[in-house]
Amino acid sequence: MIVKTSLMKIITSPKVFSYTVLWLIVLVFFGTVAQKDIGLYASQVRYFSSYYFLIGGFLPLPGGRLALLLMTINLASSLFNESLWKVKKTGIIIVHLGGLLLLLGGGITAQFSTEGNMVIAEGETSNHVDDHFDMELAFVNTSRDDSLEYTVFDAPLLQDGNSINYQKFGIQIDVISHMGNVRIESRISPTESIYKGFLKDFVILPIQPHKEATQNRPGIILKLSGLSEEEDGIYGIFLGQRTPDTFDINGDLFFTEFRRKRTYLPFSINLLDFEKVMHPGTNVAKSFSSEINLIEDSIPRRVLIQMNEPLRHRGYTFFQASFIDGLDNETTVLAAVKNYGRLFPYVSSIIMCIGLLIHLLMRLPKMLERQK
Amino acid sequence: MSLFRSKIIFALLTIVSIQTLSGFDIGDIPLQDEGRIKPLDTFARNHLLAFYGKRSVKELDLTATDWLMNLILDPQTGRDQRVFNIRNPEVASSLFLEWTSDHKYSFNEIVPGLSEQSSLLGIIDQKDINSRTIFEKQLYELSQNILRFEEISYLKALRFIPPDHHTRSEEWLSPFDFILNGFPANDDQEKILNSLQVYLASRLSGEVLKMDSALTVYRSALSSFPGQDIDINILEKETWMNRANLFYISLGLYLMAFIFLSFSWMVRPIFLNRISYLLMISGSIFHAYAIYIRMHIMGRPPVSTVYESIIFVSFIIMVLAIILEYFRKDGLGIFVGTVSGSIFHYIGFSYASDGDTLGMLVAVLNSNFWLATHVTTITIGYGASLMAGCVGHLYLIQALRENVNSASLKSIFNNLFGITLLALFFTLFGTILGGIWADQSWGRFWGWDPKENGALLIVLWQLMMIHMRLSGLARPAEFALGMSLNNIIVALAWFGVNLLQVGLHSYGFDDGVARSLFIFIVFETLFCFGVYYWPNIKMRFESR
Repeated sequence: MIVKTSLMKIITSPKVFSYTVLWLIVLVFFGTVAQKDIGLYASQVRYFSSYYFLIGGFLPLPGGRLALLLMTINLASSLFNESLWKVKKTGIIIVHLGGLLLLLGGGITAQFSTEGNMVIAEGETSNHVDDHFDMELAFVNTSRDDSLEYTVFDAPLLQDGNSINYQKFGIQIDVISHMGNVRIESRISPTESIYKGFLKDFVILPIQPHKEATQNRPGIILKLSGLSEEEDGIYGIFLGQRTPDTFDINGDLFFTEFRRKRTYLPFSINLLDFEKVMHPGTNVAKSFSSEINLIEDSIPRRVLIQMNEPLRHRGYTFFQASFIDGLDNETTVLAAVKNYGRLFPYVSSIIMCIGLLIHLLMRLPKMLERQK
Repeated sequence: MSLFRSKIIFALLTIVSIQTLSGFDIGDIPLQDEGRIKPLDTFARNHLLAFYGKRSVKELDLTATDWLMNLILDPQTGRDQRVFNIRNPEVASSLFLEWTSDHKYSFNEIVPGLSEQSSLLGIIDQKDINSRTIFEKQLYELSQNILRFEEISYLKALRFIPPDHHTRSEEWLSPFDFILNGFPANDDQEKILNSLQVYLASRLSGEVLKMDSALTVYRSALSSFPGQDIDINILEKETWMNRANLFYISLGLYLMAFIFLSFSWMVRPIFLNRISYLLMISGSIFHAYAIYIRMHIMGRPPVSTVYESIIFVSFIIMVLAIILEYFRKDGLGIFVGTVSGSIFHYIGFSYASDGDTLGMLVAVLNSNFWLATHVTTITIGYGASLMAGCVGHLYLIQALRENVNSASLKSIFNNLFGITLLALFFTLFGTILGGIWADQSWGRFWGWDPKENGALLIVLWQLMMIHMRLSGLARPAEFALGMSLNNIIVALAWFGVNLLQVGLHSYGFDDGVARSLFIFIVFETLFCFGVYYWPNIKMRFESR
C-alpha cells in the first residue's frame, strides 16, 4: 500500500512533468537541428514518432512518443490528486483537462490518420490517393477482355529477405532488396543470364535518401521463380519505370508496376482547370487553385480548391499542395488527409483558453501587486 | 506637467496638419513594382537604398524622388553621379576601380569593368544562389543594380500606366512600352502619358505652376481611370510615412524617457519619473500609429514579415511596460520598456535597410483568418516572453543587492510570474492556432517543422519553469534565471529557425544575423549565470 501511494505520488508529481518537458525540449532542439542534415521526415521518424532511438548504435534514449505518453499519464493521474480540487484552482483544472485532450488528440492522429497525394492532370479523373511513403507491387494482367486485372502486394510484404509464395499464380517472389531511393545506370559489360528484363542492360543502385521524402525514387530487386525456365530470374523495378518487364503466367500476359501505395476513394475527382496567379511583374505566386468535378454516384459537382480553402468530403480533406507545369496542360497535386483527431486541437484550445483566462483573472490582484 | 502635455498635443497636431496640407506631389504618383502599386517616392527611396546605401543623396542634397527625376531628365549627368556604393574592395578591384575612401562610384565608371567581367557574371548567374560566395553575390547584385539604373534612366522600370481595362492583364506599363515598343495607348492611358510629359517638360524648364497643373491633370486622369481602383489617399499616406520617419520619432522619445528616468534616480524622483513615463507613452503612440498606417496601406494584419514582427514585438513590450509602470510607479516598467524598445528599434532599422519593408507575400501567407490570428498571437507571446525575460534579469540584479525575503524582491517576483503566465497564454495559443492554420492549409495540425518546433520550444520552456516553481524544484531566483534564459529560446525560435532553413552551413557565421544571434546567446548565458552565481563567486574570493 505504501509502495502504491509513493508510486502514485511519483507518477502524478509535477516534478516528473518538469523533467519530461525538459527531455522534450532536448528532443525538439536536436530533432530540429538534425533536419538540416537528414531532412524533416527522417528526423521526425527518428526523434518524434519513435518510442526510443539509439545514440551511436547502442545507447537507447526515450523518443518523442514515449515522452508524450509519459506526459499524458502524468497529466491524467495528476487530476486524481485531491489537493488540486479546490475552488481557487478551477482555472488550473480546466487548463489541464484541455491539455490532456490535446495530447489524446495527438495520440489518435499519430495512430490513425493517413495522408497522401492525389495527382491529376487537367482533363483527367482519379479515384485513389497515393501514400507519401509506403510502396506496393502490382502484377497487372493485360489478357482480360475489357479491363486490366491488378494483383497487389502491400508494403509489409516487400521487406528485404521476405519470400512470398503466391499459389494463385504458382510463383514465388523473393525480395532481395527494397531501396528507399535509387539511381539507374546502364551496364558496361554483358551480365550473367540470371538477370532478366530491365536488369539485363541496366543496374539499379541504392543512393542516399533525399531530404524531402517525396522526392525519392524507390526501387526493388526481386527474384521470381515458378514462371518458366527462361523467365525465372532476378528482376528490378522502380517507381515511374517507363517500360515495365512482362511475363507469361498461365498463358496470360502480365506486367509489373512498383508504385506508391494506393487507397481507393468512394468517389472520384476530375480536374477541369488548374490556375496559378502571380503577383504582377514578379515570380512570387499569389494564389493556386484547382477547379474540379467531384463525381459521386456518377453525379458531378463543381468545387474550387484553393490555397487555404480545402475540400472536405466524407472524412477526407483535399488541399492544394503543389503542381507540375506541363507543356500544354498542367497537373495538380492535391494532398489528401484522413484524420480522426482533427477536432481535438480546436476543442482543447478553447477549453485551455477558458481555463487560463479564469486563472489569470483570479490571479490578477496578486500579479499587479505594488511595491509597498 | 500640463505644459508638457500641451507640447505633445502640439507635436501631434503638427504632424496631422502636415498630412492634410500636403497636396498631390510627384512623389505620390503610383507605379507598379515588385507586385504592388506604390508611390514613386517609395520606389525611389528603395532603389537609392539598394544602389547608394541611403534613402537620400546627402552630398548633392537631393531627396530620392529628386534624384530619380534628375536622372530621367538628364541621364548624362546622372550617369556621372557617384551613387553606387561598393562596400567590398575585391569587387572594386575586379572592376578595375580605385578603392577610394568613400567607395562611391558612378555608372560610367563601373560599366567598362562590368562588361570586361561579363563571362564571369554569366557563370555566377548559372550558380545556385546559396553556393555563391560573398564576392560573387555582391558583384552580381551590382550588375543587377546597374541594369536597373539604366532601366530607370529611360523610364523602362517605371510602370506608371495602368493596363487597359479590356485586357485581363494586371501588369502596368511603362512609358517606354508605349513610346519605344509602340504599344497603342487608349484615351485614358494617353491622358496620363501626356500629363507626365507636360510635367517633365515644365520641370526641365523650371515652371513650377505648370508642374502643379500637370500633376492635377495626372491625378484626375488616375482617379477616373476605368477598371482601376487607385486610392490616392493611401499613396499620399505612404509618402508621408516615408518622410515622417515615425519610428525615429518614437525611438527619440524612448531615449529621452530613459534619460529622464536616469536623472530621476538622482534628483526630484517623482516629477522626473512622471515626465519620463509620459515620454514613453507618447513614443508608444507614434509607434502604434506607424504600425496602424502600415496595416492601412497594405490592408493586412500587423505582422507578416520578420521586420514587422520586430516592430510589433517591441510595441507589445512597450504596452506591457506601460501597464507594469502604471501599477508599480517605481521606474521599473519605464526602464524595461525604454531599453528594450530602443534596442528593437535599432534591430528594426537594420532590417529595414535591406529594402522595401512593405513586400508582397507568397500564396500560402495571403489573407487567411487563422494565419492572421496565429501570427499576431504568437508575436504578442514573443513580446510577453521577452518582457518576462527582462523582468527576470532585473530580479537577478536586484537579488544581488537585497535580501531574498525583501518586499520589493517579492513583488518583482510576483510581476515576473504573472507576466510569465501571460506569455504562456499567448505562446501556447499562438502555437495551437498555428497548428489550426496548418490543419486548414495543409491538412496536418503538427508536422515537426523548424518553425513549429521553435514556437513549441518556448511553450515547453515556460511550462517547465512554471511547473518547476510550483513543485519546488526551482526557487524564485532559479525561476528568474530560467525566464531570463528564455530570451535565448525566443531568439532561437524567432531568428535561428530562419537560418536553419536558408542553410547555416553555407553561410557560416559570415551572415550578420547568425553572428549577432551567436553573440547574443553567449552574452545572455554569461550574464545570467554570472549574475546568478555572483554571490557564491564573491564569497569564495572573500574567504581566500
